[in-house]
Amino acid sequence: MNAVPRETLRESEIVGALEQICQALELTPNQHEEARRRYEAVGAWLGQSENRLLAQLTIYPHGSVALGTTVKPHGRFEHDVDLVSRAAGISPETLPSALKKAIGDRLKEHRRYSDIVEEKRRCWRVNYAGEFHLDITPSILNPRCLNGGELVPDKELSRWKTTNPQGYRDWFERLAQLQPRILFAKGMTEDRAYADRADVAPYPVQTPMKGVLRRTVQLSKRHRDIRFEHDTTGVAPISIIITTLLARAYEICAGKVYGSDLQLIRELIRLMPGLIAGPATTGDPAWTIWNPTTQAENFAEKWNSDAALPTAFFTWHAKLQSDVENMTSIFGFDELKKSLSESFGSRPVNRAMDAMIESVSAARERGGLHVSPRIGLTSTATAASTAVRGNTFFGAD
Amino acid sequence: MRIYRPPPLSVAQQYLALRSNPICVGEGQMRCGSLTWEYEVQPSLLSRTYDIRISYSVGKKPQVLVRNPSLVELARPRRLPHVYQQDPTLLCLYRSTKGDWTARMHIAKTIVPWTALWLFFFEAWLASNEWKGGGEHPSDGDSRRRDLDPEER
Repeated sequence: MNAVPRETLRESEIVGALEQICQALELTPNQHEEARRRYEAVGAWLGQSENRLLAQLTIYPHGSVALGTTVKPHGRFEHDVDLVSRAAGISPETLPSALKKAIGDRLKEHRRYSDIVEEKRRCWRVNYAGEFHLDITPSILNPRCLNGGELVPDKELSRWKTTNPQGYRDWFERLAQLQPRILFAKGMTEDRAYADRADVAPYPVQTPMKGVLRRTVQLSKRHRDIRFEHDTTGVAPISIIITTLLARAYEICAGKVYGSDLQLIRELIRLMPGLIAGPATTGDPAWTIWNPTTQAENFAEKWNSDAALPTAFFTWHAKLQSDVENMTSIFGFDELKKSLSESFGSRPVNRAMDAMIESVSAARERGGLHVSPRIGLTSTATAASTAVRGNTFFGAD
Repeated sequence: MRIYRPPPLSVAQQYLALRSNPICVGEGQMRCGSLTWEYEVQPSLLSRTYDIRISYSVGKKPQVLVRNPSLVELARPRRLPHVYQQDPTLLCLYRSTKGDWTARMHIAKTIVPWTALWLFFFEAWLASNEWKGGGEHPSDGDSRRRDLDPEER
């Protein structure tokens, strides 16, 4: 039998900590369920409107909630729940502002929503304080997109621009299900595609363990949130860019073999810059990160008018990469906690580290703790391990 | 009725057990009723590696010295919890009057795993300022302070 390399065992432990960090950051299953009930109720209310524009309305989640990559906003209590309300049967001649107004008017007719609805530039926000807010963006079908794409308002609400939230979600899910071979995986298993879609699509079912792609997206977004915590210039890389680059990297890695989940995470992050076309990468005149699921949606469009954006991306990415590469050269629980806290913030890291200490304490209390030659304290007994007998630490200080 | 109590283990028995246990691979010496055993331990996969020296003489308590790295340096400016002596650091792993350890027990099966456990909680303490390993802190004038003398029987 081949023994697992010690370095790989260490990497698995670190992945265990990262998994805990992600769990501390994402919507809990209860929050998911609660958000689902709330957004289905909003969808039903909008659908019952007598306004002609809302006659064939479908509401469904997009963004991180649909993808399973939620990360609690740093320094805020509320999670963002992004929703699309798609009005079928509406032609692009209808002004985006008119459809948006129809949705807003309908929300304001509701006794409860009228108190908690807030107008944003392109969407309506229904704010459940302390829990989450539902951001509802109007959309219509794009008659010129063969992939079932949609049109959403531009910033001025005067024109429609192309997008494809459902297509993107399908694309991401398809990739997330690919399985690069991990020789020594630790618990990061892939979850199944989301449930059937009805008129009001059922909310994604929360699964306890997520795949490496989703986890890497969550960790990268959180790292971004921490790095740009005090930034007021708005140059932080946007989530759709991070998500798209990592998903494309994952597709490249899918046929390969990695020693551990952590090695795959490192490779995904390493590949990101090479997937951006632009002056400093491929020599192309313009920056482009195309939406893989519709035509003419360039996620990096703003990079071409604001040079601070690509600079911010590459600076942040270099830091993310070095932080992830350095994780395995840190020894000492306290040192690792310090380093992870700098990368991902102290709150989720404290929770992850406490859980690891708690698992040792719990094993000790039930008399199931052992010391094993290559891995130290463990709850798994082997022929070479020694049980840790009960003791009372003593001492003056 | 007389309860049978096995005799204390000899130094040779203790030494042999230390030498044959794969969780404390190292080297040592044995002479005139006493032994020393030196080994490296990494209490968990995420932990540092520590150099340990265990000294034991028949009739006394085993002493556990952390030679490297300096725990005092790592803890600075705090004082180490659960030690007999700060620098060089002698670990206080059990309370003798509770019968956690007697000379009938193998050091390799008690003191060695407790040392790993102590170091694990030490790193957790460094990270959080909280000692999560439980235990007791005798106060000055407490009769239990005699337990603090590592030389005491």
